[in-house]
Amino acid sequence: MRVLVIDPDTARAALVAQGLEGVQPLEVRRSAVYDEAEVMAFAPDVVVIAAESPDRDTLDSLQESSQGHPVVMFVDRSEPGLAEQAVRAGVAAYVVDGLAPNRVRSILDVAMSRFALTQQLRGDLAKAKADLESRKTVERAKGLLMKERGLDEDGAYRLLRKLAMDRGKPIGAVAADLLAFAGVLKGDGA
Amino acid sequence: MSGLSDLRLGFIPLTDCAPLAAAQALGFFEEEGLNVELVREASWATIRDKVAVGLLDGAHMLAPMALSATMSAGAGGEGAILAPMALNQNGSAVTVSIALAEAIRAVDPDALARTPVTAAPLAKVIADRRARGQGPLTFAVVFPYSMHNYLLRYWLAQGGIDPDRDVRLVVIPPPRMVEQMRAGAIDGFCVGAPWNVVAETGGVGRILIAASQFWPGGPDKVLGVTTELATQRPDELRACLRAVMRAAAWADEAENRETLIELLARPDRIGAPPAAIGRALESEIVFHRDAAGLPRREHGLWFLSQMTRWGQIGSEHDLQALVDRVYRPELYREAALSLGPILEPALAFADAAGPAEARLFDGRAFDPQAARAYAAAFDIHRAPV
Repeated sequence: MRVLVIDPDTARAALVAQGLEGVQPLEVRRSAVYDEAEVMAFAPDVVVIAAESPDRDTLDSLQESSQGHPVVMFVDRSEPGLAEQAVRAGVAAYVVDGLAPNRVRSILDVAMSRFALTQQLRGDLAKAKADLESRKTVERAKGLLMKERGLDEDGAYRLLRKLAMDRGKPIGAVAADLLAFAGVLKGDGA
Repeated sequence: MSGLSDLRLGFIPLTDCAPLAAAQALGFFEEEGLNVELVREASWATIRDKVAVGLLDGAHMLAPMALSATMSAGAGGEGAILAPMALNQNGSAVTVSIALAEAIRAVDPDALARTPVTAAPLAKVIADRRARGQGPLTFAVVFPYSMHNYLLRYWLAQGGIDPDRDVRLVVIPPPRMVEQMRAGAIDGFCVGAPWNVVAETGGVGRILIAASQFWPGGPDKVLGVTTELATQRPDELRACLRAVMRAAAWADEAENRETLIELLARPDRIGAPPAAIGRALESEIVFHRDAAGLPRREHGLWFLSQMTRWGQIGSEHDLQALVDRVYRPELYREAALSLGPILEPALAFADAAGPAEARLFDGRAFDPQAARAYAAAFDIHRAPV
């Protein structure tokens, strides 16, 4: 397991290392600030960050990208609701200072599995959205063909499908092209 | 027991926290019956989370952050954030490293002398780098949902640079921008005052375009508050707005500038050299004048148009309804009117303030009623067609 602790203080990194004793192979690295090149080279399985670190914004921004990591946050004291909110915002788990070392491992494990699940859900959602957009685009392209070519709905769909097969492209892409070109003919984006 | 109501307000060390810092230092909060604790936070994400759960009653906040937080609020509205006041207009800028500024000058000797500077010569630099097999340039912003992100992206795209494909965009906290540029880790950034001037006076970077050139009177930060403060404690919110308004008006006055700079330069506020803080206050940032404090829904819709343009949001939201929920000019007006003649009277009324003419530097007009069409009409965009 590779763990990166972003914290100017060395105490928490030591706590994490102590809590993970016995895990093989294990590498716990501490860095005072988030350094992108270093993170890329190290490729951590999980990142532990102090809640008061300015680098939270960088990690927050990576949540939706492929560069994201499971993030575990250290807070000084438990404040009501903050953990739930941080988790809703993409932090995978959080740890209140004064944690017993023997709990570190289970928290990191939970963080990693929760992160994997979120990534999967995010992927599914993105695909569902793309499918929906594609369907909407096809509907609009059909409407355009019906209007401009005097086709009925079936005929418009068959024409789109034929165009897609002829070009070897997905029907959604052909529909989008059609709409874009229709826009140009009407003078949009010129 | 002071008899005062307690409020906790967060801020990030930036020049535009001035209305909050001044209201505290000048005793305006106390005069309004409030005992305010100003809490310096290290990240925008923490500001968002703490306001969302009510650990802070309000905070100095990136305007688009209030919108994005409310978009992801729970079904019962938990986590929604309101913007009853804007804290400032302008103040951000795009800065590039000295090396990159020289590269731009090499392809076009007059590039940096024109006003406003466009990104077209930079596009040429990027094309040349690509032809030589060099990696992409790296630009930094402070948060994905920020004026800085949208300003930089708009400006790059206007010059023919696709911000998602032709450069690498990263997020770096404001106080760390200058050292990252000095270390060569980033080639450019868009950040709020005072960090652009700090880079320039330190010989690290060169400011290419300031927000006041990009969009004169354009929006930046808001005071983001909890729904609970607005609905359960409206008197305290009004008192808070009055204090911050008075401080904003005070901060605009040239005769108060020295005092303000001294106040902001303190290590528990921004902790930057006074000279660097002064420059943006002279000619860039407006806190109160020209109804700068009015949280304009047109501005909210422009932010949503840019979120749409860059694929941060899809077509699932009712943009107008979202803006109406977050941007609360009526709360601002009510507080301003109760304060007496602090606001030019005409500006206190919705129809008298006039629409915010959203003319950006490229002259393209923005119709708030057609935010989605506007987003999809750009040559470079990620909006659904």
